[in-house]
Order: sequence, then C-alpha cells, then structure tokens
Amino acid sequence: MPTLTIDGQEVTVDAGTTVIQAAEQIGINIPRYCYHPGLSLAGRCRMCLVEIETFPNLQIACYTRAQDEMVVSTTSERVLSARQSMLEFLLSNHPLDCPVCDQSGECDLQNFYMDHGQYQSRFLENKVKKKKAFPIGPHVILDQERCILCTRCVRFTEEVSKSNELGVFNRGSRSVIDLYPTKSLDNPYSGNVIDICPVGALTEREFRFKCRVWYLASQESICTGCSRGCNISLDYNGSRRAYKAGGRRVMRIKPRYNPDINKWWICDEGRFGYGFIDTDRIETPMQRTTSDLEPSDWDPALARVAETVKAAYSEKGANGVGVIVSPQLSNEELLACRELFVEKMKLTNVAALNPWEEPGEADDFLRNADRNPNTKGVEDLGYSGDAKAVLEKAAEGEIEVLIIFRHNLADGEAGKLLEKAKFVVYVGTNWNATAERAHVVLPGATHAEKDGTFTNFEGRVQRFKQALLPIGDSRNDSQIISEMAAKLGYSLPASADEIFEAWKGISLDELSGSGSSVDPDTAVQA
Amino acid sequence: MSASFEFTPENKKRFEEILRRYPTKRAAMLPSLHLTQEQEGYISPEAEQYIADLLEVPVVDVREVVSFYTMFTRNPLGKHHIRVCESLSCWVRGSDEVKETLEKELGVESGGITEDGEYSWEVIPDCLGACELAPMLQLDGYFEGNLTREKVVELLKKQAASKTSGK
Repeated sequence: MPTLTIDGQEVTVDAGTTVIQAAEQIGINIPRYCYHPGLSLAGRCRMCLVEIETFPNLQIACYTRAQDEMVVSTTSERVLSARQSMLEFLLSNHPLDCPVCDQSGECDLQNFYMDHGQYQSRFLENKVKKKKAFPIGPHVILDQERCILCTRCVRFTEEVSKSNELGVFNRGSRSVIDLYPTKSLDNPYSGNVIDICPVGALTEREFRFKCRVWYLASQESICTGCSRGCNISLDYNGSRRAYKAGGRRVMRIKPRYNPDINKWWICDEGRFGYGFIDTDRIETPMQRTTSDLEPSDWDPALARVAETVKAAYSEKGANGVGVIVSPQLSNEELLACRELFVEKMKLTNVAALNPWEEPGEADDFLRNADRNPNTKGVEDLGYSGDAKAVLEKAAEGEIEVLIIFRHNLADGEAGKLLEKAKFVVYVGTNWNATAERAHVVLPGATHAEKDGTFTNFEGRVQRFKQALLPIGDSRNDSQIISEMAAKLGYSLPASADEIFEAWKGISLDELSGSGSSVDPDTAVQA
Repeated sequence: MSASFEFTPENKKRFEEILRRYPTKRAAMLPSLHLTQEQEGYISPEAEQYIADLLEVPVVDVREVVSFYTMFTRNPLGKHHIRVCESLSCWVRGSDEVKETLEKELGVESGGITEDGEYSWEVIPDCLGACELAPMLQLDGYFEGNLTREKVVELLKKQAASKTSGK
C-alpha cells in the first residue's frame, strides 16, 4: 500500500489508486471534467494537472497511479497557472450563454472558473458556431457549442448503457459530440448522461426552463419504480412557491450514489416516474352517500369505516373483514397493518400481492420486473396469500368489508370480483378505478411526503425521508391505520420512527446513512 | 451510389490480408476504410455499417474515424477530385486565389461536383503536408504547387486535354 504526500498531508492508499482518488480520500477535490469514477479514463480535459516531485512535467491526476513516497502538489503556482490556461482553452469556443443555460448554478465551468478563471478575456477571434439546443432523444437536449468534449456521455453509452448512440465526430475546433445518424438516444438509461455532463451541453427536456437549480431543495429518497431500490434525491421546489411551476412540487429526480445498488445511475423510468406525486392525487377523504362519492372530513369517514368493520366483525367474526395491503407500502405501514389486522383483530383474510399485476421490463443492470419497491418487505413481514382469494370471498359475500391499500383491482377478472364486494374501503394516493368504485376513500401520502423504509429485493432495508407535506388533506398511512385502530378500540403508534424502533431496536436516524444500504445478511446495519 | 455495400471478391481477399497484420480487428480500421474508399470512391453510411460489422465494432466508432481524417470522404466525388490546402503556409502564399479560380473555372463551390460529373473540389483546412509548394492542391492525389491563377487555369486545361487525347 503506497503512502504519498498530497499538499503536505500523508495518505496511505490501496495499490492501483490514482492520485485524484487519493486526494479525494483526504478531502482534496482536484478540478476535473472528463474523469468520472464510473467510467473509463480518458485524459481529455487536462483540468486535473498536478505537480509531482521528480516528474519534469505536470501530470494528470486521474491517470497517474499513486506511488510510495510521491510528493504531490495540487495548489502550486505551476498547477494553478495550468488550470487557468486549460479553462481559457475550454472557454475559447464556449458561448457563455449562462443566463439562458439550464446548467447554470450547477455547472463545473462556472464553478471552476470562480476559482481559477482568468476573468480578463484575451480572446479576439470568432467563436466556432455549432448546432444548438436540439433533441437527441426522448429526454435529452444537446447544445454542441456548450460542449467541452470531455466524452463522459460517449463513454457512458459505450460502457454503461452499451448502446453506442453517441460519438465524437470531426476534428480539432470543429469536433462535435453527436448522435450516429439514424440513431436516437432512447436507451432505458439515457437520462444519466444529463447528470454526468459537467456543463450545459446535455440538459433534461422535462426540466429545461422549469426552475433555476438554486431554488431547488433536495431530499434523500428511494426510487419506488421497482424492487431494486435505487437511491435517489428528490429535487423539489424549496424556496419557491409551487404555483410558479404549475403546481409541481417535485421537479426532478437525480440518482444518489450507492456502491452496492445503483452506483451513480438510475433508469429513465425511475427518473421520470415522479409525476404521480403531484398529479391525480386523492386530496380529501371521500364517502359514498347515495350513489356519488363526496368529500368528507377525516373523522366521519374513519367513523364510518370503524362502524362497518365492527358490524361485520360482530356478525361474521374474523372472517367478516378482508384486507389487501400492498408492496407499495413502507415496512412501518406494513407493520402497523400487521399489528392491527393480524395480531389484534386476528383477521383471517389478509393478503398483499396482486396476482394480476403485469410485470415491468427487466434487464441485467438495474431494472427489475417487479414494479413494487417493497415486495421483499411484504414477504419478510409474514404476509402471504394473494388478493385473488380475498376478492373471491368478498364477491361471494363471505367478507362484508374489504379494505384495499394502493392496488388497482378494478380491471379484468379482479374487476368482476370487486364489483360484487359489499363495502370497499380504498386507502391510496392517486385516483384509479378502484378508488372510484369504493364506498370510503382515504387519501394516503406518497413516499415523498413521509418517512419510512423499503426492503429491496436483496433484503436491504433502506430509508426514505420526507421531502414534502402530504398533499391536501392526505395523511401518511401509519397515521391512518393508527386512527382507524383508535376508533376500533386499539392503540397503535402513528409515527414511522416509533414503529421502526420497536421493530429493529434502533431509530431511523441510526439506520446507516440515510436511505443507504444495509447488509442483507444482518438486515440492519447500525 | 449504392444502397448496400460489399467488398468485391478481390477486395475481400485483400481485407483478409489486412486483418492478418493486426493483433485486433479494430486495429484494421484505417486500411479497411482506405480499401472501401478505393473501391467505392467514398464511404457511404452503408459502407460504414459493413466495416463495423466486419471489424465487430459499433458503427459510431467507424463514423468517428471517417469524420476525423480529411482523406476520407462521405460524399460521392467527381471523376477527378481536387483538394486545396488552406493551412497556414498556403493561406499566406495565396490559397484564397486558388479557391476563387477553381470556383470560377468549375462553376461550383467547394464541396460540389460539376454538372458533367467530371470534377469535384474541396477546401482542406488541415495541412496537406507540402508547405514547400505553397500554395498547393492535390489533383487525384498528385501534388501541384507554387500555384497562381494562371497555373490553376492551365492545370485544368491540361487535364481536359489529356482526357480528350485518351490518355
């Protein structure tokens, strides 16, 4: 293991570590454009030049391996002057259209120029004109003038998505990154090139001009798109009123580094699948009076559920009430359901999985066919039996009250059975045909609006944090269950933190990192 | 122009020969492209795909190479092709005059083909490597240097004459 000195600090690193990585280990961030830990080395941008004693010339830190007794300076006069010169080269053909550039505020050209810029331009020549702002795929816009040819995106399509849509064409100052004609950047992971582009060359079509990045607040979360449990950041309207974005609160999703699950990447379905958080939400409890569903307060809605449940219970006992929980619920909500419905009320008809659910597309990278974030949690918490048996009993009239969480069971065979159910309570976040058919509808909160954990398909219990207040009158499901329990004469904790602590013996905050990975063997890693 | 491209049986043999000279298939890219251009006169998208399949590389890699080197052309050319060097030495010594003359004499702009399909010409911004002859051009690969307006006109006349005399 080589020990080297970087800016006067000694650091011992694993053999094969590069200088840029060694510096990172002691908190020194060497400016870089082309280097990305998830991609092969290119050595194109020359921004990470450092001075190493005994080397006559400056060396690129991304490519140079750390060696014993190396003495590196990242701040010597030669290094600083080289950085300034490299930036001058990179900006010589850059349009400097920052005021209308979406990357502004999170742009490494801007960031590094603040520290290493020349400020007084010497450039008198005309800039090379290239193609500006044209779509190269369903999610990505390319501006060739802003591009500094770091080739991160090209290497991504070569090495990670393995789809080879992009290339560097032509030569010298006329070089451009472009699509191979006839191709389109429409692979399932195309959005990642937006994240790795250090400048404003690749921007997101959905997010473009919707919000300046400095208005965004960010919260750590978990993608609910499939059972992989990719770590994400929810970027939402923080310091700005939501009406400025047409009522949208969540503005975009970015992958969050997790070495064990998704590394630096997420799929496009996950990245762009946040629309449900702000659209078609059930915002208030609803009750069916004569034939229509009408808005109601929480108290009467919950009271009606409790009365109906009590009546069914006294008439038919534990068989009279059916519950279908969902792998969309957090572990804490599943635990609350288990405590109330299974342990306290001893219901016999409790199911979780929807046997009619269409599997999603899967591949050998991130996407799993199971489109639910917490199927493993459902299994681990002892739920078995599928919704079909419960629905059949509800259709036959054996079950008087059916409580459905999240699932849409109104299509096809399920729909025919559901139609015959006597009394349906729907607890969910978004309007669907099941909610429209229910007798009482209780609005739940999405994962963006509550705390909790999901167990991914490998058994990692991962935390997601609350970013937003529940929309309208909606409430998080563990609170709904707790209040339903109170009306039925039981006492249940309402907060996810309390439930988690009772389950695992540690608080949510003690769960390693926030939403970070957990060793599947030990289930919880403190 | 052909919708599809394939090496002639003879060129296929030459391609196999080229492959043997390199440790990896990818390394045979440049000679394979030269062979393609020799056969077809230019490198069409179909030819790019053909080479990509032969060398087992993504087609985008072939396009990167073809677009990087100015000696490859992606458009069909005239029977005779003129390349005018516009690099520093030639420019200082009067490549602008050469360009103007060609445009006037041939009646097409750089990158175009004359109506009879006899000539095409283009400006090469990168040095053609004959600064001692500046300003210079390449006619069908042969260097013609120390050019003036008169010399360019004369050159075109000579070329036309050699054609009518059946040379």
